[in-house]
Amino acid sequence: MQANFMTSVTVRIAGANGDGVESSGALLMKLAAKNGMQAFGYRGYQSIIRGGHVWFQVRIGDSDERLRSHGNSIDVLIALNQDGIANQASHLSENAAVVYDPDKVKVDSLDSSKYRLVPVQMLEIAVRVSGDPIMRNTVAIGSAMKIIGIDFKIFESVITAMFSRKGNKIVENNIKAAKEGFDSVKFEKMHSIKSDGRQRYMLDGNTALAIGAYASGCNFYSAYPMTPASSILHWFAAHADRGVFFKQTEDEIAAINMAVGAANTGVRAMCGTSGGGFSLMVEGLGFAGMLEVPLVVVESQRTGPSTGLPTKTEQGDLLFVMHASQGEFPRIVVSPRSVEEAFYIGSEAFNLAERYQCPVIILMDLYISEHVETVDGFDIDAISIDRGKVATSNPESGKFKRYLYTEDGISPRSHPGTPGTEFVAPSDEHDEYGDLVSDALSGIDRYVEVRRKMMRKRMTKIDTMLKNEKIFVPSIYKEDSDFFLVTFGSTTEPAMEAAELLSGKGFKTGVISFSYLMPLDKDKVRKMLEGRKLIDVEVNYTAQLAQVIMMNTGIEIEKRVLEYDGEAVTGEGIAEKALPLLKEFSR
Amino acid sequence: MVIEATTKQVYASGVKPIWCPGCGDYGVFAAITKALTDLKVDKSNAVIVSGIGCSSAMPQTFGTYGIHSLHGRLLPVASGVKLANHDLTVIGTGGDGDGYGIGVGHLIHTARRNIDLTYIVMDNETYGLTTGQTSPTAIMGHKTKSTPFGAIEMPVSPLALAISAGATYVARGFSGDTVHLAELIKGAIQHKGFALVDVFSPCVTFNHDNTYEWFRPRIYKLDQSNHDPSNLGAAFEKAVEDSQTKWEKIPIGLFYKTDRPSYEELDITLKNGPLVKQAMPTKEQIMRMLEEHK
Repeated sequence: MQANFMTSVTVRIAGANGDGVESSGALLMKLAAKNGMQAFGYRGYQSIIRGGHVWFQVRIGDSDERLRSHGNSIDVLIALNQDGIANQASHLSENAAVVYDPDKVKVDSLDSSKYRLVPVQMLEIAVRVSGDPIMRNTVAIGSAMKIIGIDFKIFESVITAMFSRKGNKIVENNIKAAKEGFDSVKFEKMHSIKSDGRQRYMLDGNTALAIGAYASGCNFYSAYPMTPASSILHWFAAHADRGVFFKQTEDEIAAINMAVGAANTGVRAMCGTSGGGFSLMVEGLGFAGMLEVPLVVVESQRTGPSTGLPTKTEQGDLLFVMHASQGEFPRIVVSPRSVEEAFYIGSEAFNLAERYQCPVIILMDLYISEHVETVDGFDIDAISIDRGKVATSNPESGKFKRYLYTEDGISPRSHPGTPGTEFVAPSDEHDEYGDLVSDALSGIDRYVEVRRKMMRKRMTKIDTMLKNEKIFVPSIYKEDSDFFLVTFGSTTEPAMEAAELLSGKGFKTGVISFSYLMPLDKDKVRKMLEGRKLIDVEVNYTAQLAQVIMMNTGIEIEKRVLEYDGEAVTGEGIAEKALPLLKEFSR
Repeated sequence: MVIEATTKQVYASGVKPIWCPGCGDYGVFAAITKALTDLKVDKSNAVIVSGIGCSSAMPQTFGTYGIHSLHGRLLPVASGVKLANHDLTVIGTGGDGDGYGIGVGHLIHTARRNIDLTYIVMDNETYGLTTGQTSPTAIMGHKTKSTPFGAIEMPVSPLALAISAGATYVARGFSGDTVHLAELIKGAIQHKGFALVDVFSPCVTFNHDNTYEWFRPRIYKLDQSNHDPSNLGAAFEKAVEDSQTKWEKIPIGLFYKTDRPSYEELDITLKNGPLVKQAMPTKEQIMRMLEEHK
């Protein structure tokens, strides 16, 4: 199924780990972005450092149309080794261009009448021009530019900016290598991508999230390395000279407990991990809930269970993060739907955490954490800081009531160092002062009542947030449609692309998507879904969002597109599976 | 950290601890109070962080700031407090199960970081709050509900462990001698770096082997005449003297002390002052972060 509403070209660079596949892909993205086009990049890789088969896919599109996935079939394949042909041939679109080195790679297996074979002596050119075999990637990028239709002058300016610190020779060699690659393509460009000459941001979801957190004043991040959350810690570590603090801990248990200690002391603190690490954090999450500490936790999902597919994506932890921990306490779960939204949620999470004094879990996944895309702009004026109720002195004489019973359930918190508002934050059940009712007093009538009231105080915060915030409802895309794909988080954008494709097939399709998933404004969600023809689209086996919807509204979405093979979904992929389901509706 | 006291500092919160009459933890409470009083620590600048266990009821007995955290996790929580605001005096208080059992990994890493914390472990060689099971410091042969035929594992040597992990102040006290203990705690609070004060704090209910009466004839104090705490080798020797002498000779006092820059002094961000006091980023700074990605 080809997208006919927009022009885009999908380039896949395939080779071995250590071949520079990723940096080549990043360079190609940069070239397209500098050329004023939209770009979207995703890497397929395995959890080994050298060897193995890796690919990086870059989709380049018109300047006036947002790209919503990394694309399905390959329009231009750059095969850096024989595996690049063997493993990728089945993904080629009709008339795809295949760039390969005839001295190294055989293409006999490909039907030359179906594909445009482009032999480029990458290695020979690289060695002749620079003496450095790795420069063959640059040769290939030059060829791709010609095929896509990127102005060669762009290459000169990008490469100069990138390598000028390394000296003129490097810059010149790169330009020479790319030019020979460019000239090796003996036909005119195969694609016409619109460009507007505008400079766009280009970043992945983790980076957007980290900068969003920074923008809201988060200066404490603790984590233990785990794919695909690690690039958040890399960002914090790299910017330590600009006022953010990062602590790599001995494990995720320490990471969350450190963040709780820091948040309780008054900084905006965050910790992050993937599902395996989050499993270790679970006790700490309930601890934050009991202490009513404003804590932000990032969980970037990968394919589970257990170690699973460490470098592949999934949305399999939704119910886990919603229900993790013993006991009950308010929490907010939000799953950003795009790189752009990750920035705003990364910032807003701290306002919510501090306003409602509860944990906020940002549910990412490998796809949104790691894919890179162009973003037209960020509205930093939209970022505001609300630190919630903070006591700077004790309003009453006597001991400070940190856990004061209030109508909205929110008690003013105080920070160590403030005279007069001393209190002990306890993981045990406690009274308004924070004094324990657990060991010696539970069961005594007066304290049975304390437990009841304190539990109610905490849980009331859920009603308060539902009343005060307008965010706990899904968004609707193309409201006047006949059918709706229902989804959440990173699957939203591919679903929107699928909706366009399906509409093109005569099935007017929209998308209902959730970023905030807990709590939910049940009545509004029900009203939005009731009476509509719905298909649930998720990247997991058990349709976890559909279960959440069922729990909250009683509405069961029976038709489902579920993917759990570890690969990121695309608009085309979703549309292909949704089409027969739509036809069932019409019968 | 230390301020002029304008009025007499009152540290007790008035909350009654859960401890049994005769529990060693009362002595530790008295010693911490004396140390805070002698050092004139500002009540609003002190944070006492505990884990879970009988001894972890300590924060509630004080009117300072505090966190009664999770079993075994007091060191990461206390580290978070200190890293967020290193102007605070942060004291960890917990038990042997908490610190040398479930949380022992954190001990090693907090020690090597040399975060400026005082960590007081009330070591009673048993699990009291869970009504008497074996502990990581239980001496071999010790009978409990979980080891009815006697413990068959070597006890942890917390002092040797802390010294090898990079702790810069390692001491051991006895809750039967609160004056001596208070001096060790004062030294620990004043020390710039990670300080472990292990305290023999007998459990009168569940440990009938390691009682006050058992300790008294075996304990002897380290001082200038018999030990040089700057000597790493000597410190190790003294740290394992208890098990090496089959618990006939048990030294208490300051085992090891060295000066190494604390984590807060070395960290590139914390060097500029406590995180909690650092300014929020300006719009220009936020824009600059984003512009890196154009």
